[in-house]
Amino acid sequence: MFWEQLLNGLTLGSTYALIALGYTMVYGIVQLINFAHGEIYMFGAFAGLFLASYCGVNILVALLGAMAFCMLLGMLVERIAYRPLRGKSSRLSALISAIGVSIFLSTLMVLLAGTNTRRYPDVVPNHTFHLAGLDFSLMQVIILLFSAALMLGLQFMVKKTRIGKAMRACSQDLDAAYLMGINVNRVISFTFAIGSALAAAGGVMVGIYYNAVWPYMGTMAGLKAFAAAVLGGIGSIPGAMIGGISLGILEIMGVAYLSSSYKDAIAFGILILVLLIRPQGLLGQKISKKV
Amino acid sequence: MLNFRKKSKLGIVLCLLMALTLLVGCSGSNETSDKAEAPAEKQEVIKLGFLGAKTGDVANYGIPGEKGMKMAIDELNAGDGIMGKKVEGVYEDNKGDTGEIANIATKYITRDKVVAMVGDPCTGLTKVAAEIAQENKTVIFSAGATGTGVVEIGDYVFRNTLLDQFAVPSVVDWMVNSMGWKNIAVITSLNNGYSTALTPVFKEALKTQNTKIVIEESINDGESDFSAQITKLKKANADVLVFTGYYREAALIMNEAQKQGLAISLIGGDGLYGQDLIKLGKTAVEEKVIYYCGFSSDQASAETSKFINKYEEIYKEKPDMFSAQYYDAVMILAKAMTDAKSTDPSIFKAELAKLKDYPGVSGNTTFRADREPVKSPICLITVKDGNFVVLEKIPVNIK
Amino acid sequence: METLDAIISQYIDPYYLRIMVLIGINIILALGINLITGVTGQLTMGHAGFMSIGAYTSAILSMQYGFSYLAALLAGALMAALFGVIIGIPTLRLEGDYLAMVTIGAAEIIRVFFLNFEPGGKAVGMAGIPQHTTFITVWLVALIIILLNVRLLNSRYGRAFYAIKENEIAAAASGIDTTRIKILAFMVGAFLGGLGGGLYAHYMYYINPQDFGFMKSIELLNMVVLGGMGSIPGTILGAFILTLAPEMLRIVSEYRLLFYGALLVILMIFRPNGLLGNVRLYDLRKRWWKKEVETWQS
Repeated sequence: MFWEQLLNGLTLGSTYALIALGYTMVYGIVQLINFAHGEIYMFGAFAGLFLASYCGVNILVALLGAMAFCMLLGMLVERIAYRPLRGKSSRLSALISAIGVSIFLSTLMVLLAGTNTRRYPDVVPNHTFHLAGLDFSLMQVIILLFSAALMLGLQFMVKKTRIGKAMRACSQDLDAAYLMGINVNRVISFTFAIGSALAAAGGVMVGIYYNAVWPYMGTMAGLKAFAAAVLGGIGSIPGAMIGGISLGILEIMGVAYLSSSYKDAIAFGILILVLLIRPQGLLGQKISKKV
Repeated sequence: MLNFRKKSKLGIVLCLLMALTLLVGCSGSNETSDKAEAPAEKQEVIKLGFLGAKTGDVANYGIPGEKGMKMAIDELNAGDGIMGKKVEGVYEDNKGDTGEIANIATKYITRDKVVAMVGDPCTGLTKVAAEIAQENKTVIFSAGATGTGVVEIGDYVFRNTLLDQFAVPSVVDWMVNSMGWKNIAVITSLNNGYSTALTPVFKEALKTQNTKIVIEESINDGESDFSAQITKLKKANADVLVFTGYYREAALIMNEAQKQGLAISLIGGDGLYGQDLIKLGKTAVEEKVIYYCGFSSDQASAETSKFINKYEEIYKEKPDMFSAQYYDAVMILAKAMTDAKSTDPSIFKAELAKLKDYPGVSGNTTFRADREPVKSPICLITVKDGNFVVLEKIPVNIK
Repeated sequence: METLDAIISQYIDPYYLRIMVLIGINIILALGINLITGVTGQLTMGHAGFMSIGAYTSAILSMQYGFSYLAALLAGALMAALFGVIIGIPTLRLEGDYLAMVTIGAAEIIRVFFLNFEPGGKAVGMAGIPQHTTFITVWLVALIIILLNVRLLNSRYGRAFYAIKENEIAAAASGIDTTRIKILAFMVGAFLGGLGGGLYAHYMYYINPQDFGFMKSIELLNMVVLGGMGSIPGTILGAFILTLAPEMLRIVSEYRLLFYGALLVILMIFRPNGLLGNVRLYDLRKRWWKKEVETWQS
């Protein structure tokens, strides 16, 4: 049972990691907890559903379509709700603005689609593998491989490309990057686009895996992903992956071996303990305080 | 200097107080104009307040309820109204939130001057509104609360759903003696008041029979990942799974069970009712999910099928338990007002309490001396070919 | 006092009275957050956790142990203050968003605890709590709290709170025991949270762990940020507006939350520092009496 539960945890954790990546990227650059990120993930899931079941397109096309849609949505949100605040207000005001966007988007989806949970089309056959006494499904394999591929791709982009270099520069010092001739607004916009696209991919994957999407899926997932990002060290991309996966495994193992009634309490309790031992998260960098 | 500082602070506080009284004053003046109109208005229409969520997690109970209530009111108005007076519904959305429902109940009673409130589908929310209704001497008629401690709040509080305490022993008896299920798994939805109240009722009833609870797990409403619980369940060798929560989670649990290759029946209360159970669960719930309730659009009586046809005509969808119960609630209230020849809640509530063998669309209803409704038989319902069908009707024995 | 309440309820529509009571409770709760986040600069996003501790403690004491209203309220608030100290301890090591995460986590743990808490009725909640909280009691308590807050912020401690927000290292260098002061802020803030929770429980008849979820914490934090961080009149104004807004927006029915969300964004764009941001009672007084404006930058 341990290995099956571990696999359950890995699958759940990869979905958290996909959302946490968006949080961490945005945070790394503008130090904003983008609370609307969970809603963007939800919009991605619904956009995929709309394309796949109402427009009848192939699921891969639907996935790409959802990612493209959320890229635009993410950029729009950044343009309307965050950019006007940048530079002239405290980070907390931006946080409240993000909460406003989050409430707005989830209500919008309720108005558009109703409060019902909707079934996702069955695109992946429910095939179960038996390997060395271990049962796992095709979808679990797909989610794991897909998440790993996206995360590696992201890592490559940030480390090896020109725009990635600009992003890293912005995350170190926004003003200095500006002085070096980097179009800061464009880089930030791009970051939101990439983060939102990842969230959309996560949304579609979760939709297919659980066969269900609903307008309130973003709030809790967003909170968990934020926890995952903080656990890994907010601002660090490998940290978000490790944080997401550890949180997923932690939750599943809490149910498996401790108590399902205290599942969230166990996960958050361990998170707090980790933070007390490593205040900067697992992979976060300790920033020495400037006087 | 010190003196000066103190005085200035006092000034600020006074200013705050002034702002406050100004606000209260404004609202006060509004209120008097309302009051002046109220008596004249009261002669014209009879107002009923709708309690239920139109958005939020439990909107799926409120929305069909609202439709049933609107339909009943339209039907009354198409006829003679109540004693020649038109009936008007007021429909606010309480979002399934305790603070909201308290505000709305207060608003209904004091501003809209409703004579009765219909709802809420949830036991906890009903209790909040019932306290307010009782204090303000307005009738509240819940069309969904199945937990204990509702009508005990006072003599203005009614409901027309069968208590779980009455239904569950019969259901458990059927499970053990007709189906031979002895090893039971129980899953509770931890953040769902309905579920946490129903689980002990089931466990109590299971104790009286020769059964064994092999595994007890919990989930939360709103979650999607139940993989860990199902993996555990697979190793527990249970004959049947008792799940006391709502249909959304039931469908997702069954999906996960199907995915993990676990074929087990799931049994629960009327919280499992909802077209979404079928839409979400599809093949995973076919003939596997069984729930008990007092209403089914299948095998309906003549009166009920009339209601179903008309409902389908208006809303282009099948009515559910909540639409039927809200519909009945309005009709029962209308009957009580007509019988009492009064729209004063303190008068017609006595008539309401006397209700006996009322042939509602959601079953025959009688109020006991303690105002708890008795409905019999109850239907065990399952899913077949994408429809809810009656599996069996079992009698309820109430001492 | 009862007669006063009777007189008031005779002249004021109960619906408005109800909203006024909720405003009073929210002011007390928001002042607690203002002290921790607005004044001392420690981001807390789990205030509903303190509120639930106060609510449950006072409800259980007054229902099952026959405590008087005042004693139950105080006990609830003290219990919350105790937890405030426990949750304040991580501030020794954590700051900013990491601290916010700890407060969110702690509030979630508290919520899960109450979901499993048999004497509190688990998710069914507790019903039948005596309704002692009235308009007069709430506003009396609120006024006392406001006055005490003003006193506190103008005291040595108040200046220490502000100093920590401005620059913790400089504050420590100036001889402020930052650890003690931060924990003190958490303790007082949590005390107010528990007090508000107790008042709330004794007003609503019914409490349920789901009432004190993450969104409640956010709603309360919104009041402080919207009104103006660190400003007492701002916090009061924020509590007023955000308690009234959902009621006012009732006319737009299902679009209500849409407007609420948009309202938050728009207000933040046009008043990024909150409606009365950077306004302290102290400065306000100067403005009135000395015609001399001293803005205070955050």
